[in-house]
Amino acid sequence: MSHHEHPLIVVKDLVHCYNSTRVLDVPHLSFCRGKIYALLGPNGSGKTTLLNIMGLLLRPTSGMVLYEDTDLLSNPGLMKDVRTRMTTVLQNPILFDMSVENNVAYGLKIRGIPREERNRIVRECLAMVKLDGFQERRARELSGGEAQRVAIARALAVKPQALFLDEYTANVDEKSIEVLDEVVVRIRRSSDTTVFLVTHDTRQAHRLADEVISLFAGKVVRSTMENLFRGTMARINGLSVFDTGRIKMEVVADKQGQAHAAINPRDILVSLQPLSTSARNSFRGTITEVLSEGAAVRLSVDAGEVFKVLMTRASFQEMKLDVGTMVYITFKSTAVEVL
Amino acid sequence: MDYLLDGIATALQLIVTLDAEVTHCTLVSLQVSAIAILLASLVGLPCSFLIGMYDFHGKKTVITLFNTLMAIPTVVIGLFVFSFISRQGPLGVLGLLFTPAAMVIGQFLLATPIVVALSYAAIQGIDPRVKMTALTLGARSHQVIITLLLEARFAIIAAVIAGFGRVIGEVGSAMMLGGNIRGYTRTISTAIALETSKGEFSLGLALGMILLTVALSVNIALRYLQHKSK
Repeated sequence: MSHHEHPLIVVKDLVHCYNSTRVLDVPHLSFCRGKIYALLGPNGSGKTTLLNIMGLLLRPTSGMVLYEDTDLLSNPGLMKDVRTRMTTVLQNPILFDMSVENNVAYGLKIRGIPREERNRIVRECLAMVKLDGFQERRARELSGGEAQRVAIARALAVKPQALFLDEYTANVDEKSIEVLDEVVVRIRRSSDTTVFLVTHDTRQAHRLADEVISLFAGKVVRSTMENLFRGTMARINGLSVFDTGRIKMEVVADKQGQAHAAINPRDILVSLQPLSTSARNSFRGTITEVLSEGAAVRLSVDAGEVFKVLMTRASFQEMKLDVGTMVYITFKSTAVEVL
Repeated sequence: MDYLLDGIATALQLIVTLDAEVTHCTLVSLQVSAIAILLASLVGLPCSFLIGMYDFHGKKTVITLFNTLMAIPTVVIGLFVFSFISRQGPLGVLGLLFTPAAMVIGQFLLATPIVVALSYAAIQGIDPRVKMTALTLGARSHQVIITLLLEARFAIIAAVIAGFGRVIGEVGSAMMLGGNIRGYTRTISTAIALETSKGEFSLGLALGMILLTVALSVNIALRYLQHKSK
């Protein structure tokens, strides 16, 4: 096994409860050095809980967090040491009430790094987040996006083995999102840091991460978490039907009552006329948005609920689709993952 | 009216010419109160941190106690300390009564609750993310405390200044514990009480002006820091 394939962090039989409600239940996950992992899921899926447990900010109700093969939870001495080798950028991070320079240098001062080297690292890290020359500015007077970038620079300065980023582009302006995504890509290229990012943005997760881990109701699921709908399951004429309140779709599942359903955008076909296939679900809708995604095109189709659909650029052009075009979307009942 | 104007004129003269009596009272006042507030900060600030950072049984009661002590009359503190250090008291053998040290003890007890209660409030006001962030960046417990202290620095200095403001002008405990001995334990405030009752109006007025100036400076500093900490 090469250095890079050896896992940095492994979690085993992890369970976490809030007021006796099980909010996280992860039997096994393993994370390799130098990779980017995205923890994806809707609100309350347990992604931040998992992040904080791995970032040693939260003690799980039970289970193990192995760091380089040693369980940290039963080894407080090692845990203290490992804490200095990882860092978390909180969702909505706060900067200390001091200059930008002192903020970025904070972790370096704690580690006793000499002044000249500290200044050099601060300069580098500020350049990385495109805030060159911001050293003397008062941190609390920065805009939201700038503050977020300083928080990331502050985390990068300590050269962590593991970097945990919780929704780092929430509440941030477009320009900062671009800069920050670029920073994440750059970390991947230029360092050995393992990055964990929590997000509910599927596109961001797939764009940046080597591996996407989808969480739902505290469990790891195989779903892509796209086209995620809330509704109820019912049996109608012997068939399983998922009802969102606006539309009903046929599914293959035994679950009853409240449920969520997700459909991979790749599993949805778009056509100008109704398709005569064995696929059980077909809806008429209007294209409301068109986004280019490399060789593919991502459409939003409003068919009672808004569906995201991924199709090739070739067929998109062939069918002369555009915003406002009326189309049919079709998918099999097996394409619907009931969660 | 002449009486008042003459008084003010003489008072100003006493201040400008650095009258021995006036200077001495001022120095004693500043010295005693400065030592008292220093001790109160050394004890009070760590106390407020312990109360602020840890959850323990009876925490609310402790906070209520300090808040109540903030308003305790100075003569009550005087009486309390007196009962300990008077000749018959348990600490009588130390011979502390009617010394500056006794006044320091009294003022220390007056200032500490203010320092504790106000800096506790300042620490409570710190965003909980500050502590969390310090931990994520590898800070150990003592480094976390320093970070929090820096974060609340303006409000904490304001707490110390408020404590100083409480003791610099108090009469009750200084009179009871210091005994108002001329050239030894006579402070500005005890001197004003004495001189005015003796009819030495202008001396009292001169001392009053000095006390007012000190109080004003303290308040200006306080206002400035409170504004800054927002």
